[in-house]
Amino acid sequence: MDENISRRSFLTKLIGVVFGATGILFAAPVVKYLIPKSSEGGENIFTNADGKPILENEIKEGASFTGLSRSGPTIIIRRGGKLRALSAVCTHLGCLVKWVPNEDVFFCPCHAGKFDVNGANISGPPPVPLAAYNVETANDGRILLS
Amino acid sequence: MFKKIIDAIDRRIELLDLFRQNLSEYPVPAGLNIWYSMGAVLLALFCLEIITGILLLMNYVPHAKEAFASVGYISGVVPFGWLIRRVHAIGANMFVFVLFLHMLSVLLMGSYKKPREMTWVVGCVIFGVTLTTCLSGYLLPWSQLSYWATTVATNSPGSIPVVGDWMVQFMRGSDLVSQRTLGRFFAMHVSLIPFTLLLLIGAHVFLMRRTGISTPPWSKTDKTIPFYPHFVVEDLKVIYFFLAILFAFVFFYPQISFPPDALVPADPLNTPEHIKPEWYFLANYQLLKLVPNEFLGIIVQGLAAGLIFFLPFIDRNNERAAWKRPIFGPLAVFGILAYIALIIWGHYS
Repeated sequence: MDENISRRSFLTKLIGVVFGATGILFAAPVVKYLIPKSSEGGENIFTNADGKPILENEIKEGASFTGLSRSGPTIIIRRGGKLRALSAVCTHLGCLVKWVPNEDVFFCPCHAGKFDVNGANISGPPPVPLAAYNVETANDGRILLS
Repeated sequence: MFKKIIDAIDRRIELLDLFRQNLSEYPVPAGLNIWYSMGAVLLALFCLEIITGILLLMNYVPHAKEAFASVGYISGVVPFGWLIRRVHAIGANMFVFVLFLHMLSVLLMGSYKKPREMTWVVGCVIFGVTLTTCLSGYLLPWSQLSYWATTVATNSPGSIPVVGDWMVQFMRGSDLVSQRTLGRFFAMHVSLIPFTLLLLIGAHVFLMRRTGISTPPWSKTDKTIPFYPHFVVEDLKVIYFFLAILFAFVFFYPQISFPPDALVPADPLNTPEHIKPEWYFLANYQLLKLVPNEFLGIIVQGLAAGLIFFLPFIDRNNERAAWKRPIFGPLAVFGILAYIALIIWGHYS
């Protein structure tokens, strides 16, 4: 009888080990499969939604343009002839901000957050400023961010 | 002939015995009211969602470039596609609404108390999984509304220290809501979640059968009635009442689930004005607006969810009726009213 119990106990443990090992064996590639790939390196070019580069002269004085860069949605405004690039993603819940030229603010339509021209959060729920990027212009007019 | 086949099967696997044990001779308390039929309404709506979901799957394309057009094709070209889509979308809203009613009645009649604690806990998990189902399904039409509502909802965990950003990226499959997010949400919505929900519903019904149906706190009678056909008829009355409401919305007020932003394809570079989540997320949305610190807002919501989840283990008072309890009763009513107020405030803010 005792021998039977110990055999039963051994088999129970064996089933547990087999299931456990199988689970780990399957889980490893599944976890790897589910973890998103990080974005690739290379030039950080400002483009439209289709990936076409936006040229420096396409953004007129006082206007804004929302496009994409490697850092995600990015908004560029031109003030005093100079381009200024900031992340367009509101730091509150991820909606995209819009440039309101007559108020000199970036406005988030989701929860009415406001940022000043430098991206500093000035009212509403956004907890931190918008990320700012350095702007360089390539010889062919493409806008490069860093 | 038919009877002969049934008898032949029954002689082998004793199916009728199972039917008698679980349906025709299964006694339920005679004093039950319409609130006890909410579970049956939910089961009926769940079946409706599964059937309409399978039909939608036949024409839906889970790709960011084609999803919106495929949904338009279902609504505009496929015969009765508009009906299937409306029933699926509005039915999901009704499912959440009836789930609220079901939980509310259990809460106020104290049916979550011993020995039904596990039934309550599984019910709470069903509620959470239901909201996940709604959220994942909401993105699939790839409209402006679905895109930006998903962006806001998936961004919420970002404020959690250390792991927040990673959680957001893991949910989306990328930094932004993209094709990868659509793929993940589609897989969850059509396979992982329905099976999980089915298992949970099975567990919930199993637990209900093991502990027996509770009676209303005011019920004095020990009389019972057979579940089938007596109580089934009571269930059917309530099921058809809710189906009538569902189809009233489907035919006469479908825009309740399809506001203007739901009719415009997603533009990842343009957030529309006044984007709002579905009504069942409005309280969370409004709370996030009111609490100055987003992480604090998530903590408050987590605490409220935890309180509801662990309620049977926190509230050990033997009195079941909420209206006979001077502290719990007003607290429960205040909580419910505050929740409704946040929904209304969120809607008009």
